[in-house]
Amino acid sequence: MKEKKFEPVIVGFFCNWCTSAAADLAGTSRLHYPPNIRPIRVMCSSTVDPVYMIRALQEGADATILGGCHPGDCHYITGNYKARRRIAIVKTVLKSLEFDDDRVLLEWISGSEGPKFARVMNEYTEYIRNKGPSDFKYLDSLGGEEVE
Amino acid sequence: MNENEMLKKLMVDAFEKGLIEAVMAPAATKDSYTYALITKKEDVDKLTPIAPVMQWNGADMLRRITRLKKSERKLLAILRPCEARTYKELVKFNQVNPENIIVLSYDCPGTIHARTYKYQPTGIDELIAEIKKGGKSNKIREACKVCEYPTPIPNVGDIGLGLVNTDSPVFFALSDKGKEFLKAMGIEEGSRNADEWIAMHRKIREEWYEKERIRGGRKGLEEFLSSCLNCHNCKNMCPICFCKECFFEDRTVFDYESTKFFNWADDKDGIRLPTDKALFHIGRLIHMGTSCIGCGLCQQACPMDIPLYRLFGIVGNELQKVFDYKPGVDDAIPPVMDFREDELHEFEGLLGGEE
Repeated sequence: MKEKKFEPVIVGFFCNWCTSAAADLAGTSRLHYPPNIRPIRVMCSSTVDPVYMIRALQEGADATILGGCHPGDCHYITGNYKARRRIAIVKTVLKSLEFDDDRVLLEWISGSEGPKFARVMNEYTEYIRNKGPSDFKYLDSLGGEEVE
Repeated sequence: MNENEMLKKLMVDAFEKGLIEAVMAPAATKDSYTYALITKKEDVDKLTPIAPVMQWNGADMLRRITRLKKSERKLLAILRPCEARTYKELVKFNQVNPENIIVLSYDCPGTIHARTYKYQPTGIDELIAEIKKGGKSNKIREACKVCEYPTPIPNVGDIGLGLVNTDSPVFFALSDKGKEFLKAMGIEEGSRNADEWIAMHRKIREEWYEKERIRGGRKGLEEFLSSCLNCHNCKNMCPICFCKECFFEDRTVFDYESTKFFNWADDKDGIRLPTDKALFHIGRLIHMGTSCIGCGLCQQACPMDIPLYRLFGIVGNELQKVFDYKPGVDDAIPPVMDFREDELHEFEGLLGGEE
């Protein structure tokens, strides 16, 4: 039997005004992006407490993406600047504890950037696929490989 | 006359001159020290302004006093340097109203772990004697040994009391308010040399920082937290965790149906109960890490003696480096309340930097 290839699960938090619109545009433009992405539409990238991203990783997601409007284009004027600070915080916490901080991604994709949306999703899925499954979901569990 | 007697005399004088109408300072209990608020000069004798134990963060007490309404009376608060920094940070978070409050801070001899003190009490005079010689007692808490700012800092609090390297304590003003107070009291400002003493602390801190840092990702964190009871004491004692309703105690987020538990156990080859233990600590780091003052009360509060300050203090410092922010020292707005339009591009995209 052929060995089953690892397919990552990636949870995406996409802002309503830009990245979600870009996802729609990518769809209507018939651009292919991988089914590994599980999009969640949020009103603004700044409404996502990074704890929810950590939690997604702990529940078994292999990576998470936060998608927002380009800096300066936020529908709520300053939301994405705050989101950027939060991502900086969560990535620093993960890095400092020697977790894999590449599994949290922040991307700016505006409503007209359907092709960019498809490209980013393809690239990131490929990147995580090469990286392999996340160890994070075994936090506070009995499973998972022993790390040396 | 020792330092405590001196401070008490200062309080009585200030009461008589009408410069203050209330004092908040530590007072001894049978086994420990608690904060006390007094409004009469006759009660000054019940206080121990410089106490060997820090059971609560004094700034947190000031928050409780001024949470609903600014201080009605002129209040003198005796705070350790770490508490004074907390006070400043909480003022920035709009948790303490600084109006009518004068903060007096001193060269801190460190504090003893409250539980150690309960069984093996050590007098404050012994601790102060050490710093007068420019040293530091080895009985004090880990967080005190590696303290980054053990002395009063200008613009953090109002009045400083210098004890290091001197036999006669000196007062100095840290703010205009403090200057006025000292002038009205007729106290000459003095100075003492504490640079070496501070440098000694920072050197110990650097070594500690590299040695005790928690490494190794999931395994490292799990090992570190292996005896955690999930009691949330660290959060309750943390002066920066001032939210009335904590996200991690929200039953709508952290109550699950049984299906969920079984699915987890299927998926993760068995889960530890209660759940969300590590998530709580990571989440707390995300929420308060940028403003961690370094009082180490999380570690003192831990019933299982987990050296939590190594987690919150060190990761907190890493966060503060990213934002170039020193909580309680800088006048800048805390990072979580602020943003710049052009910053932090290394955290955007996969390889850093926007296309």
